[in-house]
Amino acid sequence: MILAPPGAHNRTLRSRLFGRARGRSTVEPAVLALRDVTKTYPNGKSALKDVDLVIPEGDFVFLVGPSGAGKSTLIKLLIRDELATRGQVVIDGQDLARLSRRQVPKIRRKIGIVFQDFKLLPSKNVWENVAFALEVTGTPHRKIRPAVDRVLALVGLSAQARQLPGQLSGGEQQRTAIARALVHDPRLIIADEPTGNLDPLISWEILQLLLRINELGVTVLMATHNADVVTALRKRVVALEEGRVIRDEVGGTYHRTH
Amino acid sequence: MISFVAFSLKRAWEGFWRNAVMSLAATATMVLMLLLLAGFWVINTGLLAGLEFTEKKVNVVADLYDNVTPGQVKDLRARIAAMPEVSEVVFVSREDALKRFRDNRRAQGEEDLTRFLDTNPFHQSLEIALTDATLYSSVYDRLVVEPTVQLVKNQQDLVERVLTVTNFLRTAGGVILAVIGVIVLFIIVNAIRLAVVARAEEIDIMRLVGASDAFIRWPFVFEGALVGLFGAALALVVLALGAEPLGGFMYDFFRVLPLTFGSLSRDVALLVFGTGVGLGIVGSWVSVRTYLIK
Repeated sequence: MILAPPGAHNRTLRSRLFGRARGRSTVEPAVLALRDVTKTYPNGKSALKDVDLVIPEGDFVFLVGPSGAGKSTLIKLLIRDELATRGQVVIDGQDLARLSRRQVPKIRRKIGIVFQDFKLLPSKNVWENVAFALEVTGTPHRKIRPAVDRVLALVGLSAQARQLPGQLSGGEQQRTAIARALVHDPRLIIADEPTGNLDPLISWEILQLLLRINELGVTVLMATHNADVVTALRKRVVALEEGRVIRDEVGGTYHRTH
Repeated sequence: MISFVAFSLKRAWEGFWRNAVMSLAATATMVLMLLLLAGFWVINTGLLAGLEFTEKKVNVVADLYDNVTPGQVKDLRARIAAMPEVSEVVFVSREDALKRFRDNRRAQGEEDLTRFLDTNPFHQSLEIALTDATLYSSVYDRLVVEPTVQLVKNQQDLVERVLTVTNFLRTAGGVILAVIGVIVLFIIVNAIRLAVVARAEEIDIMRLVGASDAFIRWPFVFEGALVGLFGAALALVVLALGAEPLGGFMYDFFRVLPLTFGSLSRDVALLVFGTGVGLGIVGSWVSVRTYLIK
């Protein structure tokens, strides 16, 4: 497997793919930054404690840790499904706690999110599932068709565009979900256990797809339990345990190396 | 804006048929509840008309002395008719009173015994209809002091008893209608909520891909309105089919009541459509709210 490291030329690639260059619009150097974030749920359960995490644009980061370590809470904070009890969550230069309700959907369009269970609409075909993300955000019709065709080509599903999710393999369903996450031309892809329901071979396919998207300049944060993948790729690894970041190393492995 | 409305309407239509089972269940619930509401509305209207009719029967009868001249009668009649409590004053002459008595006897199949009488035993009288049965005593008080008036039949007790019963029935009818209304409200809102909850995942996806609240809410609100519209239309079809036999039954039941079915059917149509569409909208609005941005 040959993968070019993210570099300056990738911005050009990405521009070519998405049709426009993207300059850095704010002073914030990172796509995503958590500063001293603590999250305590109303029932008193403490999910995150003093988490500091900065992810620069173009990074590929694995988020690992046992179940209940706080990965899901972290993701909920990033898409502003929950608000931090203390500390600051900044996406693309914007403090999520200061967003008005109206601005929340706009920040969510900058984030593409992929789940373990795909979350596809069973009654819509592949093309419609991807187009759905644009329709419900008020994108004009003439812009929907080219955008959907483009991302389906990117994930390699052009031929399956008219099939329903039920007719697809798990890998194809996840690629549909990735296409949907990409269709808004996001700055950040958050993948929550994207390979959790897939066999090892298909998992690698999905991972390669995410790496390719990362090469195009999109930042990727992937929560996973897949130790083989994490260890093999030697990317940046952030490990959570009991709500704290216990390890954050570039070129890390799934398990702590002693 | 127009494209947003078009989008919402299109999604509402799609949503309705994509989840046909839930939508039709909600519509069926809507139909049944609207029929229940309309049925009780009609019964309550009949009851109110009946009560009004009963209260109109309450009048004040003042017997006059036999030697009172037509001029004096005319004078008294004019003064009484001028009272704001009085809606109508009818003069009944001695001959009229006798004739009415004989007619009544004949109608009841009783033998007419008045032919054995030498003289007419009836007095001339004024029959005074009231604008409101509760004003009985003020008219009574006014009449007893008139020198030409021989006797005012005091029916105060009877009037009060009638008023007690009619007021009770009126309140009871209103309370029952209100209770039915609340039940209908909860059942319809719940049925709509079930249809919305069945699509929680779809709403979840919309939220995650960055749909604004309006884009999430309005298709569901329109869909709720659609359920209401379908439900109301079906309920009205059922009511229209049932109106003929039902109307006949109502007429048989209340017999002599001057019920006007023209305005009643208009009221029922408005009630059914208003309730159906209104609750459809309110139900989906409330149900979707749970899923919007916290």
